[in-house]
Amino acid sequence: MVMAGQRRPMGPGQAGFWRSRQGLLVLPPLIFYLLVYIYPLSRLWAWSFFDQHFTLEFYRELFDEPAYFKALTNTLEISFLAAALSLMLGYPMAYLMATTSPRARNVLMAFVLIPFWTSILVRTFAWIVILGKNGLVNHLLGRLGLIDEPAKLLFNMTSVQIGMVHVLLPFMVFPLYGVMSRIDPSLVRVARSLGASPRRAFLRVFLPLSLPGIGAGCVITFLLAVGFYVTPALLGGQGEITLVMLIDMMVNTLLNWGLAATLGIVLLVVVGIIFAVFSSLLGVERVTGK
Amino acid sequence: MESEKIGVFRVVLWVIGILVSVFLVAPIIIVMITSLNEMPYMEFPPHRLSLRWYRNFFTSPHWFEPALLSVRVAFATAVSAAFLGTLAAIGIGRGQFRFRRALEMFFVSPLVVPVVVLALGLYLLFSSLHVLGTPLALYLGHTVIATPLVIVIVLAAVRTADPEMELAARSLGAGYMSALWHVTIPIIRPAILSGTAFAFLISFDEVIIAIFLGGPDATTLPKRMWETIRFEIDPTLTAISSLLTCVAVLILVGAEGVRRTFQGRSAR
Amino acid sequence: MNRRDILKAAGVVSGAAAMGPFFHVGPARADQGELVVVSWGGDYDQALRDLVFPAFEKETGYRVKLDAPPETAKIRAMVQSGNIAWDVVLTDIPAVLTLMKDDLLEPIDYGVLDQAKLGRIPKELQRSHALGQRIYSFNILYNSKMIPKDKHPRNWADVWDGKAFPGGRTFNFQGGIEPQLETALLADGVPIDKLYPLDVERAWKMYDRLRPLVTKWYTSHAEAIQLLTAGEASIGCTIGPRGITAKHNGAPIEVEYNQGKLASDNWCLVKGVRNKKVALEFINHAIDGKAQAGIAQRVPYGPSNVAAFDFLSPQEAADLNTSPENIKEQYWQNVEWWSSVEPNGKTQREIQAQRFATWMLKG
Repeated sequence: MVMAGQRRPMGPGQAGFWRSRQGLLVLPPLIFYLLVYIYPLSRLWAWSFFDQHFTLEFYRELFDEPAYFKALTNTLEISFLAAALSLMLGYPMAYLMATTSPRARNVLMAFVLIPFWTSILVRTFAWIVILGKNGLVNHLLGRLGLIDEPAKLLFNMTSVQIGMVHVLLPFMVFPLYGVMSRIDPSLVRVARSLGASPRRAFLRVFLPLSLPGIGAGCVITFLLAVGFYVTPALLGGQGEITLVMLIDMMVNTLLNWGLAATLGIVLLVVVGIIFAVFSSLLGVERVTGK
Repeated sequence: MESEKIGVFRVVLWVIGILVSVFLVAPIIIVMITSLNEMPYMEFPPHRLSLRWYRNFFTSPHWFEPALLSVRVAFATAVSAAFLGTLAAIGIGRGQFRFRRALEMFFVSPLVVPVVVLALGLYLLFSSLHVLGTPLALYLGHTVIATPLVIVIVLAAVRTADPEMELAARSLGAGYMSALWHVTIPIIRPAILSGTAFAFLISFDEVIIAIFLGGPDATTLPKRMWETIRFEIDPTLTAISSLLTCVAVLILVGAEGVRRTFQGRSAR
Repeated sequence: MNRRDILKAAGVVSGAAAMGPFFHVGPARADQGELVVVSWGGDYDQALRDLVFPAFEKETGYRVKLDAPPETAKIRAMVQSGNIAWDVVLTDIPAVLTLMKDDLLEPIDYGVLDQAKLGRIPKELQRSHALGQRIYSFNILYNSKMIPKDKHPRNWADVWDGKAFPGGRTFNFQGGIEPQLETALLADGVPIDKLYPLDVERAWKMYDRLRPLVTKWYTSHAEAIQLLTAGEASIGCTIGPRGITAKHNGAPIEVEYNQGKLASDNWCLVKGVRNKKVALEFINHAIDGKAQAGIAQRVPYGPSNVAAFDFLSPQEAADLNTSPENIKEQYWQNVEWWSSVEPNGKTQREIQAQRFATWMLKG
């Protein structure tokens, strides 16, 4: 990989030309985005500012009510935690998949893929069955004599996180595995042969090379989590009301489309900021630079 | 000493791996067992077993037609999103022009937009174009939300792939398209495939766009399931989920079989 | 032919197969001999399909197509864009009022409907833009495994009593339903005939007392039934007829009709409905007493046409929320109060629903 860079048959000018031509590839997706994404969205953007005439009424309403802010912080808290937990569980899983025998890898891959094919709605209901008062977990704990009466495992942050991580984990494992599987194992071996401890070899060689995967996985899971509706609605209690639930209510129950659009735009801005920070911290450009 | 350390490390890794696997699969197994329940509500463990919910799925067009439509829409979405997403990823990852970062952000941004809001915007656009309530509307809407995922995944792969390989191919006389097709694409193929799978599943499992842009002639399986779960909890849902999972397992096992056959033949 | 060629060919073929349908299927048009009726899905729709559609289709030559659910947001978008895909909609009064406020419904031409049938439908159910089809009710439902039938909660004060009646409660939040302010006032001892106008502040104080008892605020009635069946909650406030259905299906659920809140699901015409005459003819078929009795036998909602009781056995009638026995213990939701407009231009329903959301977030 590094060797190829030492001999460069084409001049830098030619390389630049080649690279700029590749940039043209973005045109078809760009056109598609403008037509089917930006155009409809611009109409909604207008809704947040117009109620017959130009107005900032919706924004004023939003900032006057602290409860709406709470929904926003709820959403961010839930999503951040879900992404972090997914990374904690997903990284070892992906590492195992990338470093084990092909046969074991396929078995693990199957375990990650199978839940993927099961409807989110139904999986969420399955967690209600498992964690419920008369559910499997309480049943087992009672049998083992660990509890006297059924524990309340549902409708709190724990059950929301269990449900969400279950849905998000594959979205974390796949990008991680995608990057890890292309990391040359000989690099780690070379580091080891040069006297690095396994831990050091991992931290100094493997981990940095897997950073793009971590970045992609975290961004995907966090952003998906922000848009979740079914899982927090069904598994959450009173404290887990998210912005999407609030928007759904504005749209479908209150028919307050202006406020819904405004909530959406506020969410968009906040998440956009976090996204920008996230991706620059986790080095989207970092590895390619060298 | 050191190899012993590695041994402990591997054991811990495997323990985590097995626990995560159990965590991932347990609810699915519960759903499968529940689907054999005879009672008309979800119950675990079931008291009496029956296949009535499977029968219900296959005999009722109420369930079967939406399932077919979902597969079609998801397939078209996956193909288009993979195509558009790969182009965007290569363009951003390899091209040299200003505002590449901004463009990347822009391409990934549909993930951030609450689907409800996007669905409403698309609703107004499509109704004026008279494509509302058609599979085409669902396909376009799903492609918007699926493409960013492909871009994120493929772009991560493009960035770790060595750009000098393509330059080498070019210097050896390969044409623009040829270098792209024979050098770049094969390197990032695993990422494209996983991106395509993601896109398929995003579309296949998507509810909100299906509700807003669908209609009597364009009802996907998730829309039908959502209607059902909202208004009556019909255990046919569990049968459908179990079937989908079984199909997935068959595909995985089948793919593994094909891979082995090819491997054996090329004697690698 | 190597492996790549095979894959390529397979890709092209399956791609074409997948794309094919997109360029042939046109949208459903009600003006081509089709009437699009929108209801809530499930067993009730199946009953409509079996008991109402055939006669209507035979008589008019129109085919009925069902869609679900009748979301107000969707109707609004349809009317605003002028692309109306729905004709007749079955929905509740809160939704009707929201839609009427924004002028999204067509008035019902009562002169065209069968006067004999209308004569058997209570006047309260015949509104300018909505005609009652089925009666639902918010009742006390409880899990009979957790709470014995002879010691069950008999009124809302009992439901609020966490000591005498153990186990969690489940009440609605979202899903298009307003907070149960009437219920809260009944629990606080307000007489059933003196509920309106609602003492809002008193009701919200009762909600504060309810909060610690609730294990789960449900978002759909199906969820409420599931929570009660699983014993996750012992007592719930949800749709009584759904409890009866669950009970018939073997779930450990009982319904107490006392102090229940009655309300109706109604037929409405979407603004700009393309064939109003045919749509009204459909409603005419749906409000037939015999047809409604057949539906009630399958899905135990109260029929709007009282004539339906002539076709029901005493036992079948006893389960219905509108049976003479049950209806006198309950009250009709006062829709006028909920739709009254406050000085800020919002209806009580909007104000209370918004307050519900912020109340919940502050908890």
